[in-house]
Amino acid sequence: MNTTVSEAPVSTWQARRWPQEREARIPAWIYSDPLLFQREMEVFHHGPTWNFVGLECEVPAAGAYKRSWVGTKSVLMVRDEEGGIQVLENRCAHRGAPICWENKGVVKDFTCPYHHWNYDLCGNLQGLPFLRGAMGKGGMPRDFRKDQHGLRRLRVATRRGLVWATFGDATPDLESYMGEEILALLDRTLGSGRLRLLGYNRQLLPCNWKLYLENSRDPYHATLLHSFFLTFGLLRTDTAFRAVPTLGGRHAIMASTYSAATAGTQNEVTKQLASLKTDFVLQDMDVVKPVDEFGDSSMINFSVLPSVFFQQHGNSLAIRHIIPKSESSTELSWTHYGFAEDDPAMHERRIKQANLMGPAGYVAVDDSEVLAQMQPVAESAPDSVQVVEMGGRDVAAQETMVTEALIRGFYAYYREKMGL
Amino acid sequence: MSQWHRAASLDEMQEGEPLAMQVGEVALAVYKLGCEAHAIGDLCPHQKDVKLSDGFVDGDVVECPMHQSCFDIRTGKVMGPPAREDVPSYPVKIEDGVVYVEV
Repeated sequence: MNTTVSEAPVSTWQARRWPQEREARIPAWIYSDPLLFQREMEVFHHGPTWNFVGLECEVPAAGAYKRSWVGTKSVLMVRDEEGGIQVLENRCAHRGAPICWENKGVVKDFTCPYHHWNYDLCGNLQGLPFLRGAMGKGGMPRDFRKDQHGLRRLRVATRRGLVWATFGDATPDLESYMGEEILALLDRTLGSGRLRLLGYNRQLLPCNWKLYLENSRDPYHATLLHSFFLTFGLLRTDTAFRAVPTLGGRHAIMASTYSAATAGTQNEVTKQLASLKTDFVLQDMDVVKPVDEFGDSSMINFSVLPSVFFQQHGNSLAIRHIIPKSESSTELSWTHYGFAEDDPAMHERRIKQANLMGPAGYVAVDDSEVLAQMQPVAESAPDSVQVVEMGGRDVAAQETMVTEALIRGFYAYYREKMGL
Repeated sequence: MSQWHRAASLDEMQEGEPLAMQVGEVALAVYKLGCEAHAIGDLCPHQKDVKLSDGFVDGDVVECPMHQSCFDIRTGKVMGPPAREDVPSYPVKIEDGVVYVEV
């Protein structure tokens, strides 16, 4: 049978079907199909969702900017002259070059490196070379209107020192998108909103973005993959734990209570599970001795769709930004923060405990390593199927770490939005 | 120490056609407005290597050819972004129909 160019086949993913046992199975082709990836960007990142962009304290002065990402689109978070925050797509209205090639700075306006089209801090086109021609020749047509050719502006919401943005016109307000439980946790973890930037880590994960998202909603692996937790008593099987999917699986909460008195020691069960030699010692035990700064003896981590994970690990607070690059590549960008009110001891504590996190963190390194190993296997077997039945086959909240309910919840939401 | 420099005879000048001059380090341009002449700095404060005198003159306003920042020819005052600074204004005298600029 001959096929000509005009008979282009239907996109592969649209011809595929989710496995029969929908709720507790994940097909591997979702990690490797490039056209599916594009569709996910439209639905989850460039669509009616609120996306983390940065912290207000990263752009303190008028004209300060920081480059960030919403999905695969480069954006600029800018402090304008009235003190507001703008988020602009980093793409010249002329030919589509990125107008800004630096990660951060302070400017009076933006000039594209290619043809020097110039925009103000709100993305309005202020000027372009030779608008009137040169030496009587050339120039733009008389009816060319600068006000029709500005940068694309995203809708912005700020709350407690964080900046969110959306490309979608129909995106509901931030509060509705987050829902009550996540909103309460955002307010808890951001406190006064007077955030203090501690530093960044960045890493490129050679895997699909959803593998990281799943990992961040998978309490089951915590005591198994992360030997460090067991050896140093950070996770104990006698802690109370809640795994809660919200808004039909859109977001997810993992909340545990711990005792600062017992942190750093192992109970008997934990000792049995530890897979490393127990004669490992840390030179500085402060790294594993948190202070109960929120006053509720809780460690609460939560995942906000599509692209951000809020980390509370002892006193190491960080925002992990999941930035998809392609179906097989994802940037993970960490912003470590504290509060303006932190005393020197707390500041020091946060910095030390951050050694567990980041690309080479004692704990976090395990995640990126295992996901990097998984991606080529998923690509080699696109028709294979993953089984996610730990904790059952439904998506109800559970009071245990040994559950995959949050992953099942995410995919229930995913299938609905993707039409799969 | 400032001095008077000869620019041109007023009759030879045309409205809308500024005369660019270089006096030592200073780049300026002289503009004819009716029977008057005015002189302002010629380098745009926004992007220093661009000459306002290459731009578009509309009455007593000159528009930079790069990003269309406008300046008042009589005073050098900037009238809109992206430029935010004025250009210097130089004293002008006309003697026997000849325009001189003090720099």
